[in-house]
Amino acid sequence: MVPIDLGKTSVREGNEQIRQHGQNGEDVEIINPDARHHIGVGLVHPITVKVHGSAGYFCAGLSDSARFEVESNVGWGVGDNMYSGSVIVGGNAGAIPGVAIRGAEIVIHGNMGSRAGQVMKAGTLCCAGNANFMAGYMMYGGRIIILGDSGEKVGEDMSAGEIFVGGKVEDLGSDAELTDIDSAEIEEIMEFLDRYEIPFKGSFQKVVNAGKKLRYATSEQQMRSIPFFTFSGTSDYWNPKIQEDLYIKSQIGRYRIRGYGGARPLPHLSDLAFKKDLSAAGNENNIVSKVKMSTEIGGINGANPLKLSMPVMIAPMSYGALSASTKRAIGLASTMSDIAENTGEGGMSDAQRGAAKQLIFQMLGGRLGWNIHDMNRADGLEIYISQGAKPGLGGQLMAKKVTPELAKIRGIPAGIDLRSPSRHPDILGADDLVIKVEELREATGYRLPVSIKLGAGRVRDDIKIAVKDGFDFVELDGMQGSTGAGSAEVIDYVGIPTLSAIIEALDALEEIGRRQDIQIVLMGGIRDGVDAVKALCLGADAVALGTSTIIAGGCIACMQCHVGQCVTGIATQDPEHEKRYEPEVEAKNIHRFLESVRWQIAAITNGLGYNDVSQLSRDDLVALTPEAAAITGLPYEPQYGDADLDIHVRSVV
Amino acid sequence: MCGIAGIMLKDSSEPFNTGEALVNMLNGCQHRGPDSTGFALYGQAQENKLKLRLFVGQGKEADTAINRIKKFLQEQGATIVDDEHVGEAYRVTVNFSGDIQKFSYALEHAAKVVSIGNSLEIIKDVGSAEDVDGRYNIHNYRGSHGLGHVRLATESDVKPEAAHPFWATGFADVAIVHNGQITNYWKMRRRLEQRGYEFRTDNDSELIAVYLADKLSQGIALKEALKTSIDDLDGTFSFLVSTKDEIGYAKDRLAVKPMVMYETDDLVAVASEEVSLNKLFPGQALNTKEPPPGTYNTWSRST
Repeated sequence: MVPIDLGKTSVREGNEQIRQHGQNGEDVEIINPDARHHIGVGLVHPITVKVHGSAGYFCAGLSDSARFEVESNVGWGVGDNMYSGSVIVGGNAGAIPGVAIRGAEIVIHGNMGSRAGQVMKAGTLCCAGNANFMAGYMMYGGRIIILGDSGEKVGEDMSAGEIFVGGKVEDLGSDAELTDIDSAEIEEIMEFLDRYEIPFKGSFQKVVNAGKKLRYATSEQQMRSIPFFTFSGTSDYWNPKIQEDLYIKSQIGRYRIRGYGGARPLPHLSDLAFKKDLSAAGNENNIVSKVKMSTEIGGINGANPLKLSMPVMIAPMSYGALSASTKRAIGLASTMSDIAENTGEGGMSDAQRGAAKQLIFQMLGGRLGWNIHDMNRADGLEIYISQGAKPGLGGQLMAKKVTPELAKIRGIPAGIDLRSPSRHPDILGADDLVIKVEELREATGYRLPVSIKLGAGRVRDDIKIAVKDGFDFVELDGMQGSTGAGSAEVIDYVGIPTLSAIIEALDALEEIGRRQDIQIVLMGGIRDGVDAVKALCLGADAVALGTSTIIAGGCIACMQCHVGQCVTGIATQDPEHEKRYEPEVEAKNIHRFLESVRWQIAAITNGLGYNDVSQLSRDDLVALTPEAAAITGLPYEPQYGDADLDIHVRSVV
Repeated sequence: MCGIAGIMLKDSSEPFNTGEALVNMLNGCQHRGPDSTGFALYGQAQENKLKLRLFVGQGKEADTAINRIKKFLQEQGATIVDDEHVGEAYRVTVNFSGDIQKFSYALEHAAKVVSIGNSLEIIKDVGSAEDVDGRYNIHNYRGSHGLGHVRLATESDVKPEAAHPFWATGFADVAIVHNGQITNYWKMRRRLEQRGYEFRTDNDSELIAVYLADKLSQGIALKEALKTSIDDLDGTFSFLVSTKDEIGYAKDRLAVKPMVMYETDDLVAVASEEVSLNKLFPGQALNTKEPPPGTYNTWSRST
C-alpha cells in the first residue's frame, strides 16, 4: 500500500498520484483525509484505496472498477456515477449516497442521508443502518437494500429498480408500491450481505414502481402538419394555430407537448441593424481570408480551449431527440467547418465522438449517459442547468423514442415517457454547484473547459453565480431557443428573449467588474451570420446554432419532433424513418450552410471596417423598434431597417 | 447559498478561543461562500452594559456617523464606557438599562446597527474568513460560544450589511446564520410587522431571527420556537441560532441544505460540512451525525 498524506498533499495532487498508482496497479492508503472532498474521483483502475478517517463529498465519484474502503464517514454523493467497483463506508453517509451509480456496489455500515440512490441506473446500494427521506428518489434501475428503517417517501417517483427494506417501511413515495418477494431475490440479498460480512436475520419488504406515472394517460395524436412558419404567424384571432391547439386539448385534457421554439413574436436580433451602409460588403474576393475569425473558448482558467475557426459552435441537441444519423451528420459538418459540436442530454455514442473533432459532453440532472470514460474523451464538459425553450424544466422524450438501444445508453427502462429531472441531485444551490464543478475538474485532471448551460430567466443573478463558481464559459440560451419536446405553454411564455439575456448578462458582469472572468456563447434563435455578428457586436464571445443547422440538414419545421415519426428521419429513433436520412449528404448541406455563415460574418465585419471579429462593438448597431432600444440601450433609428433587410436577402442569395 | 458553523463548550465557566475555532471552521468551507464572512461572538455579559456594533464606513463618512451616534447615545442617556472604530464598524459599550427594542429602533435612524447585546457582538464584512479575521482580529476573541458564516451572494448585493450573521433586530443577544431560502418570506414578514416589529433588510435570515426572538419574548423556549419554525417557514433551510446561553439548529423537511453535527460531553460543533469540523480536530475520524430532515435541537451552556 502506498501512503498519501492529505495533511501534506493537496487533494488535486493526491488524486493525480492515486491515478498514477492506479495505472501501476498499486494499492493506495489515504492518511489524514479530514473529510476533504473529491477523494479518488476519476479513478479508472482496479486498485484498492483505503481512506483512514472520513471523506467529504463525492468520494470515489466518477470512477470505474476501483475498490474503496472508508473507515469512518463520507459526505454527500459517495460513489457518484460509479460504473463498477465498490465503496465500503464504515460510518455514516451524507445525502445522496450512490447517486447515479451504473453498476457499482456501495455499502454503508452506519446510517445514510436523504435521497439515497437518486437517479441510479444499476448496481447495489446497501445500508446497514437507517435510510432517510426519499431513498430511491427517481431511480431508474438497480437495487437498494436498507436493513434498518426506510425513512419517509421511500421510492418517490422511481421508474424501475427494487428497494428492499429490512426495518420499517415508514411511508411510500409517489408511484411506489409494496410487492411480493421471491426466494431467489432473498438468496441474492443474503449472498450480497455475506460477501460484505453484514449479519442480518430479519425479513424484507420490497418496494417497486407502481406504474401509474410512467406514461401520459392520453397520448397526443399527430395532427395534420402546420409548419412552424404558419404556426408562428400573427394572423387573425382564430387562426389555424389556435384551432389546432384547442382541438388537441379537447382530446388530451392537459398541456400539449411539441417540438420547436416559441411561436410568439418577441424582440430579437432582427430588431437591430448595422449603423453603416453595407451595400458594398462582400463584393471583394476572398473576403473570408481577410478577416480573423478564429476564436478560443474555454481556456481562460488554464484548461485546453476549444479552437473554433469562427465564433460559432453547434448548440446542444441530444441523441434521443435526434436520430443517430442526424447527430452524425452534424458532427461531420462541425468537423468540416472546424467548430465544436455538443452532445446535449443522453450520452455520447462512438459514432458521435468519431464524427466530431471537438465535442462538448453535457451533464444533466438525470445523469443519462453520463460517465467517466466519455468525459475523458470529451473536449469540454458542460453542466446543464436549464434551456431557453423551457427554463426550469427537464427534457421530455416520449415513449416512441425511448427504444431499447437508446434506453441502454441512457441507463433507463425502455418505452417510458421519459421526463428528465428538472434539477440535479447534487446541485441544489450555488454552494453545491461549486463543489460539483470541482469534481468534474478533479476527475479529468483540470484539462477540460467546464461550461454552464443557462436558460434565460433571472440572468442577472445567475451569471454572477456562474462566474463565482468558476465556470470557463456560459452557453446562454434565450427563449427563442428550440427544443425536441416541451410543453407548449412553457415554450411560448416562460423565459426572457435572447436579446434581453445577453444585455442582462453583460450588465451584471460589469456590475461586479468580472466580464473578463467568463466567456459568453449566446444562443436562442440565431439564424445565420447576420444574427451572429449582431450578437458579437452586443458583446457575446461566440454564438451557437441549433435549429438553423437542423433546417440546413433537411428539417421541414413541422414541429412534431416529440412524436418520434419524423418524416425526414431527423427527430426519430424508428429505423424505418431514419433510413430516409442520408448523413453524408446532409453533413455536406450543413457544412455548406455553416460556410455561408462564415462568409456573412467575414463580409459584415469587413464591411464595418474591421479585419478581426474581436473589433466588433455595440457602437456598430442601432435599434429598429422602441422595444429593442429599451432592452439594449441602443439608439432607436428605424430608418436603418431597409438596409438591414437588404443584407439578409442579399447574403441569402 | 452559504456555509455555516457554530460552536459551544458545554461548560463555559472559562472562556475559550471561540474566534480562532470559527475562523478555522469557515476556512474549511470557504468554497461555499467567497463573497463575505461574519461571526456572532458571545463574551462575558455585563449587567446593564450594552455592546453595540454599527456600520459606519471609513474616513470622513465614518467620523460623521460616529458623531451622530454619540449624539444619539447622549440623548438616550446611554453613557459610553469604551469605543473603537475598526474597519467598517464602530464598536461601543454603553451603560443602558431601558427598553432595548425602542432604543434600537430609534438608533436605526442614526446609524446602521449590526448587533446589540449584553454579550453578543456581530462582526461581518466582505471577503474571506482570513480577510475578515485579518481586518477584525477575530482569532484572538475568547468567549463562550459563537456562530460563523461564509456567503455566496445569489440575489442580493455583496456588501457588509448583506453578510451574515443577522441580528434579530430589536432583541438583545439573538443571532442567526442560515443557509437556504425562505419562500414565504413576505407573508411571514407581514405577520411580524403587524405585531409591531421592524425589519432593516429584505434578507430572509433577518426574518428567521425576528421570528424566533418574537417567540422568545413571549416566554416560549428556544427549542419550542425552533419546532414551530419548521411548520411556519416554507422553503429550504438549515440554520443555527444563538442566544446568550443557548445555540440551536433547525433543518427543513426536504433536507436540501447540508448540516453535520459533532457532539461530545464537552462541546457541540455544527457545520455545513464535516470538513469544517475536522479543521478543529485534524487527523481524527469524528463520530458525526447528519440531522434528519425536519429536525431541531438546542444546547445550553452551564456556567
